[in-house]
Amino acid sequence: MTESLIGFAAVLMLVLLRMPIAFAMALVGFVGLMYERNFKAAISNVARLIIDASQDYGLSVVPLFILMGLFVNKGGIARELYQVSNAFLGHFRGGLAMATILACGGFAAISGSSLATAATMSKVAMPQMRRFNYSDRLSTASIAAGGTLGILIPPSVILVIYGLLTETSIGKLFVAGIIPGGLGILLYLVAVRWTVWREPNAGPAGDRATWGDRFLALKGVWAVLLLFFLVIGGLYGALNVWPIYLRFSPTEAAGMGAAGAFLIALARGGINLKGMFEVLSETAMTTASLFFVLIGAWIFSNFVNLAGLPEALRSAVTYYDVPPWVVMAMILAIYIALGCVFESLSMLLLTVPIFFPLVTSLGYDPVWFGIVVVVVTEISLITPPVGLNVFVLKGVVGDVTTGTIFRGVTPFWMVDILRLALLLAIPALALYLPSQM
Amino acid sequence: MKNLVSLTRALSLIPLGVASIVLFFLMAMTFMDVLLRSAFNNPIEASTELTRFSMAIIVFSSLPVLSGRGEHISVDLLDGVIARLGLDRIWTALMSVACGVILWWPANRVVDLAERSRSYGDLTEYLQIPTFYVSWFIAIMTFVTMGALVVRGLTLLFVPSILETGDD
Repeated sequence: MTESLIGFAAVLMLVLLRMPIAFAMALVGFVGLMYERNFKAAISNVARLIIDASQDYGLSVVPLFILMGLFVNKGGIARELYQVSNAFLGHFRGGLAMATILACGGFAAISGSSLATAATMSKVAMPQMRRFNYSDRLSTASIAAGGTLGILIPPSVILVIYGLLTETSIGKLFVAGIIPGGLGILLYLVAVRWTVWREPNAGPAGDRATWGDRFLALKGVWAVLLLFFLVIGGLYGALNVWPIYLRFSPTEAAGMGAAGAFLIALARGGINLKGMFEVLSETAMTTASLFFVLIGAWIFSNFVNLAGLPEALRSAVTYYDVPPWVVMAMILAIYIALGCVFESLSMLLLTVPIFFPLVTSLGYDPVWFGIVVVVVTEISLITPPVGLNVFVLKGVVGDVTTGTIFRGVTPFWMVDILRLALLLAIPALALYLPSQM
Repeated sequence: MKNLVSLTRALSLIPLGVASIVLFFLMAMTFMDVLLRSAFNNPIEASTELTRFSMAIIVFSSLPVLSGRGEHISVDLLDGVIARLGLDRIWTALMSVACGVILWWPANRVVDLAERSRSYGDLTEYLQIPTFYVSWFIAIMTFVTMGALVVRGLTLLFVPSILETGDD
């Protein structure tokens, strides 16, 4: 156990000293394996992992979903999603902020990245909210919070990484994210309403769009929304009915999504050969960096398991007779604390190899734990003092202080905690849909 | 020297081009596989093996470019401190060289494993392709990645001016 803790500290130190996280985990994992066994066994283990992991069928989900997101983005979907949400909600008090939340949810579902969602939506939604004299507090907070929806609503790259790391079904993880993700949107809408109820001037009502305008706005997004439902519906098995009988594995869903997004971009004339090369090469590069990080995490995880850390943690829990919920509470507290320092992916990679075996041995469901971990990571993105989304927003918007954003984010943070409590109290929120697959 | 950098940048488009073509192929194949299976009950039977090969090619073609550009995922928490100490360039350079050097051992071991599978005559199940082809490709690209990291580090250390227009 001591070796693992030293290893963990060494990874933290190397990562903070700016060694790429993949190399830090792989190096420490390798040295650890060498300590436990010998050089030859350790290097063989590493080389075998490199060969096998790079040909992992499950990994193909990653590039295909990233590709889908990038193809969809090429058509300027963020602006169109915002226009649609705005057409339907803009006339309510706080309506533009609610539209921001919905558009963030939609954009996040496609892009799978919280930071990208916050950065993109701040350019689209912020000018509009300023035009209608929304308070900076509400407008920046709705974007920062809305951006966090990105990593839970499927398809989510971070859930794929969790699935690969823990050998949990990626299809089930995606489907499990649907209700908590939807609940997240709903509760954020409540947070907006609460804010304008407390402070009516924070979000004045905008103009009411006519039904004609609303349908016109829908024209820009219907194809993408249809594609999204096709991908998730196919994954869930909802399309396995007469006459189409479609049911996708995660890789197939991702492939269909990417090809569909490509065809949509092509039909709209939004992509040429150069644009295609940019999208494809960016996807390939992102895939390679994620893959390399995964290999590092696997090597580190092999060492941690060999050194017996999960076993030692299990024995300690049994010995001191700690109730499972206390263990879970401690793990979540660690996540929130780490989230102040690390971004989502690094945090997940560093902690899951250690906590996952313990959590499953306590009888918790691996799919449920994946969703809980992602929700906690989301919360950490807007938790003071270093919620990353807040800083991304500050970077893009410029003339608003982080203090203002953090104050505005407070109601959103509180409903996030409520959602986490609900997930802990009612695991079925995450597990009901996967159990029906 | 500038010409050398331009040449390197141009050359880096080759592996990226290969990765892009294979990725497009992977997308098209997955799409066709689902269509053929659901409409004609006639899936592409080799699709699993082809997907595996594609993944290895996509990942290991991009890896040297990713490394040469210094775009590996890292945590930037202490960036400010390192920059204030005036160590930014030297630190990045040393990290790059260190990361490159540690790839030497796994790359060599992948060669050993590739040779072993060649001597055993290992073939893939469906397409009967020798498995050492992929292993050799992985080994070669790991060596290229190693080279990219070390060269990037040394360039940053000794002739940083030629990287001013970007990192490659």
